[in-house]
Amino acid sequence: MPALLFNEMFLRCIAIAVPWLAAAVLIADRRHARPIGFSAALVSVLVSALLVRAAPSGESLFQALMLLYSCLTLGTTLAIPKRDCNSPTIAGILFLLGATLLAYSTGNLLVFLLGWILSAIPFFIPGWFAAHTWRPRAALSLSMAALGLAIAVIAWQGGAIAIDGLKGRSPGGIPAFTLLVTAVVFRKGICPAHAWVADQAESGPVAPTALHLNGHFGALLVAKLIVPLFPGTAGHLFPVLSYLAIATALYVAIRALSENCPRRLLAFIALSQSASILAGLESRTAEGIAGALVHWFVVTVSTMGLMAILRLLEVRFGENLTASTHLGLGEHAPRMAVSFVVFGLALVGLPGTLSFCSQDLLIHGTLMSHPLTGLILPVATAMNAVSVYRLFTRLFLGKRRTGFTVMADALPRERWALAAGLLFVVLGGLFPNVIVAQRSAEADNVASFSLEGVP
Amino acid sequence: MSFPQAGLVFAVLAPGAVFAVFALVWLLGWTPGERIVSRATGITFLACVADLAAILFKLGTTGADAVVVTFGNWFAVHEYRFPLVLMADRLSLPFLALTVVLSGLIGRFSATYLHRERGFFRFFLLLHLFAFGSLLAFAAGSFDLLAAGWELVGITSVLLIAFFQQRTAPVENGLRVFAVYRACDIGLLVAIFAMHDWAGTASFVSGVPALTAARSTTICLLLLLAAAGKAAQIPFSGWLPRAMEGPTPSSAIFYGAISIHAGAYLLLRAQPFLAHSRWAAAFVMATGVATAIHGTIVGRASADAKTSLAYASLTQVGVVFVEIGLGWKWIAVTHILGHATVRTLQFLRTPSMLHDYHRMHSAVGGELAQTGKHLEETFPEHVQWWLYRWALDRGHLDTILDRGVIHPLMQLSRMFAKLDGLGLHRGPEPIRPALPLRSPAGQESE
Repeated sequence: MPALLFNEMFLRCIAIAVPWLAAAVLIADRRHARPIGFSAALVSVLVSALLVRAAPSGESLFQALMLLYSCLTLGTTLAIPKRDCNSPTIAGILFLLGATLLAYSTGNLLVFLLGWILSAIPFFIPGWFAAHTWRPRAALSLSMAALGLAIAVIAWQGGAIAIDGLKGRSPGGIPAFTLLVTAVVFRKGICPAHAWVADQAESGPVAPTALHLNGHFGALLVAKLIVPLFPGTAGHLFPVLSYLAIATALYVAIRALSENCPRRLLAFIALSQSASILAGLESRTAEGIAGALVHWFVVTVSTMGLMAILRLLEVRFGENLTASTHLGLGEHAPRMAVSFVVFGLALVGLPGTLSFCSQDLLIHGTLMSHPLTGLILPVATAMNAVSVYRLFTRLFLGKRRTGFTVMADALPRERWALAAGLLFVVLGGLFPNVIVAQRSAEADNVASFSLEGVP
Repeated sequence: MSFPQAGLVFAVLAPGAVFAVFALVWLLGWTPGERIVSRATGITFLACVADLAAILFKLGTTGADAVVVTFGNWFAVHEYRFPLVLMADRLSLPFLALTVVLSGLIGRFSATYLHRERGFFRFFLLLHLFAFGSLLAFAAGSFDLLAAGWELVGITSVLLIAFFQQRTAPVENGLRVFAVYRACDIGLLVAIFAMHDWAGTASFVSGVPALTAARSTTICLLLLLAAAGKAAQIPFSGWLPRAMEGPTPSSAIFYGAISIHAGAYLLLRAQPFLAHSRWAAAFVMATGVATAIHGTIVGRASADAKTSLAYASLTQVGVVFVEIGLGWKWIAVTHILGHATVRTLQFLRTPSMLHDYHRMHSAVGGELAQTGKHLEETFPEHVQWWLYRWALDRGHLDTILDRGVIHPLMQLSRMFAKLDGLGLHRGPEPIRPALPLRSPAGQESE
């Protein structure tokens, strides 16, 4: 057993340290950004795969999330356009990968806080990943402060910093719980703290922003800390967060209807869909929690694919893309158009994709626990579907434009990355039980804690 | 797996498999030629027709009521299961046969009609996906699986409306249709949830579960919302003329035959629920009557042949809804089969309508009698004028939806945008290197 633990610990260290080491190497060697980034991410993918394989059945959620995030980073290093593929960007992406894996893999509160803070650091530094507006920095700062205070209260009251030792004890009581929920609200972009997400997407670099948002630290905090540590409190007060999440899903879906900036529009759709993950986690039903966990995977892959395609279009056709008129880019980039529509509809429950199953479970679970507010989720999803289809029609359909001399459609390396994402959402949709069964077992773990709090 | 079971699986999966293969080879960089595409389509649907004929024969000789194929659960979490069950019974077999026969005919017709059209391959790709979605919906053994096919039919319908993607109008109309479909499909999703919650299953292989009258009414009204959206019943009829922007073969199979009757099929499947709920049956009939009257009046004022035919379809589907509400299940099925066949023929002949008219005119020696004078003889002139204005704006249905739903929603959205912008002082916009998006003069989009 110690040998196994050592091995697991060793593998986790490798998965985290190699990207950071590669980031450090990139500061010295500025010429081989893509190969170094790709290799480091590949190591993380392989090590995370070993961790998933070694994990006991039903306890592999965080290892699976590590694998997913490593794969996303790997795909990003492959598909990122040449214009963005410089040493600081790739180093930042690898830094982000290490920090996110640290937060996913740890069972220690202080290390979790460290991962939380480190993953946000690049978004504070002007010229690196920082946005031009103040709201992303403010939201991330507030979330860090809230989490820091919460952990201080928990450690003081609970007398321990290991998550396993604090499970079910509600350490810190209502104040700690409130601070944790505040951290979730700011980090996840829950109403009324949602606006920073669109600001960051609009004026920050696309690929790092997409990776940052798809870390889903808010949902991670819920699954890792709030539900296991505060089952009693969660039983009574957690629905408040669920209502906020459902309200966010609806508010942002309505907001997206009149948005014409493609980056902001995608950010709103992604935010609305990812808010439903929180609602599912809170539903306290095995169906809702399993749906939320599967949906986590779908939202991550789909939004990453959509953001990647948008960036590829921007570098080819200019950054002044708009959804206010038909740009007719589909004739120039047909494969990107098809990838966009599949990723887009996969985000909103197209049959044959994994999200059809995740939405089915998610809506079922949420409706069971909150019959009236749960009705909002299908309404929000329908509006998101209209928004994503509108963006598709505006970007890709319409009169063919002439005058471009650039190579327009996806390059082979970009196609490989997009094809991998498409295969995941489509094969996952055709054979969903492979993924749903795993998440179902993990959902039982989460549900077992949350059900303890049900009066 | 017995022969009829294997045959059913083949008939449902074959168009889906052809779609998957074509899509894959296209993504790999090769676009199959017209001859390969049309031959593959012909062979696929011929095989499906022969297959279904054999199943019918087998059922007839053995006297069995239905063929059921159970694959287990598509996915399951504890007691919640998504059963993967295909079923061909007396209700679904006619619809399955109609789908494969008409899809094959449309494929054959389109091979000539769309010859050398830019979107030839895209059309056939979507035709196969549509056929797969329809067959899945009609052969589903549960409302869960029916919903999967239902959604596929919807998305292919929208993509085919926007087939002529160089023009703005079809693209925008496709978006409008998509919005209506998605809004109405909420009814289907919630109805399925309600069935699971109240009865523990949404399967109808061994009959629909027995529920109280109130619950049956709730489920029926939710299903009616979905059915009305798909069948363009009032108040959602406004999308139907917009859908005529698609190519004629797709209009024929979608709005003359299969898609427009999918709503009626859903209600036929829900007939046991309807039988328990007089209120829901009355709602179904009222919707049908209103739509039939609306369709017949508006159709008379339509300026183009396809729209006129679309409203004629609407009228007949309205009558089918009335038949379903009255519980005349087999009359409704017979009506659907006859109507779908005739309407498909009419749609396919619309490009040569004038030619046909002249030929008929000559054949009867220039004495072709006028029809459709009933309204003129029934109503006084000022009512006729009022009806004409009402019909010209297609019953004001789009205006009502615009003013009642879309404009308030967009106003709310803009208000949220203003709220989001509070306290935000944007700095100077970053300089973005951009290629010109405007094309040379004279080629600007509409």
